[in-house]
Amino acid sequence: MNEAELAQRMRAERYFADDGLLTAVYLALTLDRPLLLEGEPGVGKTELAAVLARVLGRELVRLQCYEGLDAGQALYEWDYPKQLLHVRADATDVYREDFLLERPLLRALRRPSVLLVDEIDRADSEFEAFLLEFLGDFQITVPELGTVRAAVPPIVVLTSNRTRELHDAVKRRCLYHWIPFPDTDRERAIVRAHVPRIAEDAAESLVRAVSGARRLDLLKRPGIAESVEWARGATALAGNGDPWPVALRRALGLLIKDAEDMTVVRDHLDELIAP
Amino acid sequence: MTAIDHLLGFLRGLRAAGLPVPVVKQRDFMCALTKVPPRDVGHLHRIAVATLTTSVADREVFDPVFAHWFTGRGLPELSEMDEPGQTGTGGMGDDTQPDGAVQEGSGHRASWSTVDRNAVFAATTAGQRRLLVRLRSDLPAAMPVIRSRRRVPARRGDRLDVRRVHRDAWRAGGEVVRFRWRRRPTRQRPVLVLIDVSGSMKQHSRDHLRFAHAVVASCERAEVFTFGTRLTHVTPALRARDVDAALSALTNVVRDADGGTRIGPSLLEFLGNARHLGMARGALVLVLSDGLERGDCVPLVKAVRRLSLLAHRLVWWSPLACDPAYRPVTRGMAAVIAHVHKLAGVRDLDTAQQQVAMGM
Repeated sequence: MNEAELAQRMRAERYFADDGLLTAVYLALTLDRPLLLEGEPGVGKTELAAVLARVLGRELVRLQCYEGLDAGQALYEWDYPKQLLHVRADATDVYREDFLLERPLLRALRRPSVLLVDEIDRADSEFEAFLLEFLGDFQITVPELGTVRAAVPPIVVLTSNRTRELHDAVKRRCLYHWIPFPDTDRERAIVRAHVPRIAEDAAESLVRAVSGARRLDLLKRPGIAESVEWARGATALAGNGDPWPVALRRALGLLIKDAEDMTVVRDHLDELIAP
Repeated sequence: MTAIDHLLGFLRGLRAAGLPVPVVKQRDFMCALTKVPPRDVGHLHRIAVATLTTSVADREVFDPVFAHWFTGRGLPELSEMDEPGQTGTGGMGDDTQPDGAVQEGSGHRASWSTVDRNAVFAATTAGQRRLLVRLRSDLPAAMPVIRSRRRVPARRGDRLDVRRVHRDAWRAGGEVVRFRWRRRPTRQRPVLVLIDVSGSMKQHSRDHLRFAHAVVASCERAEVFTFGTRLTHVTPALRARDVDAALSALTNVVRDADGGTRIGPSLLEFLGNARHLGMARGALVLVLSDGLERGDCVPLVKAVRRLSLLAHRLVWWSPLACDPAYRPVTRGMAAVIAHVHKLAGVRDLDTAQQQVAMGM
């Protein structure tokens, strides 16, 4: 598969990647390296992993990070009740693979998969240390058992919202790409792919309003996810007979999710949405 | 000059410009070039960005260096081949600095103005040092606490420690003799100290910085920023063990000391950065400022309200409040006071120590 084919298959899954992202993904596939994605919330970081899994026909294994995540929840855990029963039944060796409960990282090693480590900046920095061996060599060392290696290296996508700096050791092992907000053409294509009922010129005015809103001084700039939701909402309202600009205004709550931002956007509404 | 020299020269150029690329990443870059031959300069740029950078901020340094080495020269052939007639444009694969634009990104070296500023910080007296020692021992107890999400083994707890129960049971031939527990321990909340270093705080900001040094030294998760006309992150400089060493390190970083005041815009700058927001979320936020804002107060009020919503507790220490007759009536303070959890008078280490002893 070359880059053009990859782009085409991702488009078929309704994911429109720009050239930079495409190259980064292609390199991740060719070099067997994890891919670290950063970008504003809602630009399609998580979605990329789901799309890759579908494109490559692999299972998506997802690890959602949170503060306090530890090895027992991310790598593996021994099945203690089962082991205990076997010990009482005079079994000698209870440290075997079939006593191992697989957690996302181990699961990703045991079958061809796309592993998504989502919002790694939410986990505390101790957690990054668990990841190092996995990201570097695609293996996990279980002290009682030995090293579990991947037969087929998993495709690893890490996402971060940059709420804190990741450790250099993690970044060194990964390819890096920053996903920016899409340009208007690409965003229009995305909106039209996800909301097929929307008309061409309606999509055009919506996308222009969204990119105008992103230039305002907002606490949370709307991502692609929000503009798709907005398009869905407004299309539904327009279906009930509202003219398009009115439908856009009424569905504004789907685009802006903060009271202060709403005041700012309302002040500029006439510039954003032509009546 | 061969293409490989050219690429190595480019990597050296990055290092010289202040973006050292680890060897592992350099190897990735070279591997990528052999496996995915670049079609044009744009493609080469995308490959180089994905393999060599680790943050979107790196691009400021990266892009000018890349442009210098590759733009307008065509792709270097990966086979051993000489670059025709291009050797005169600089960058002979050696370490010559390309141009001024690259120099700019090369990090902030200490400037010669340091010498003038070192004199400004008077040495810490013995009495102050005694106070600092007391502060360092009192501070951890005064910090508000939060339950950690990471459970630890404990005598009493709310979750069974299955792993330890099992290990014990195995020793006892499979009998569970006693339970073991884990619980969520308490840990200090993060603390964020914002220090006003503008001209109106001149008499107090030295002691405030000494206090901040004690905070960084004794609290688990502490971050310190100074603001006057702009915002400066000073935690790394304050990590020096000795307080005077830390203060003189600060002179290299804090460039707006004893100048004008732009409290509101500086705080808004703080809130505009997602990474900084994380430091304020659920934290004890301590603002050391007199709240005398020049000009428009709207940004100040907006920023303080936002900060107060983010923080666990927002404490404002003002030297003016040491006067019992002080009432926050200036436009800025009058509007801000509604969002502050506690306003106290602190003008030096002694009063700071009293506040800490009373609990924050």
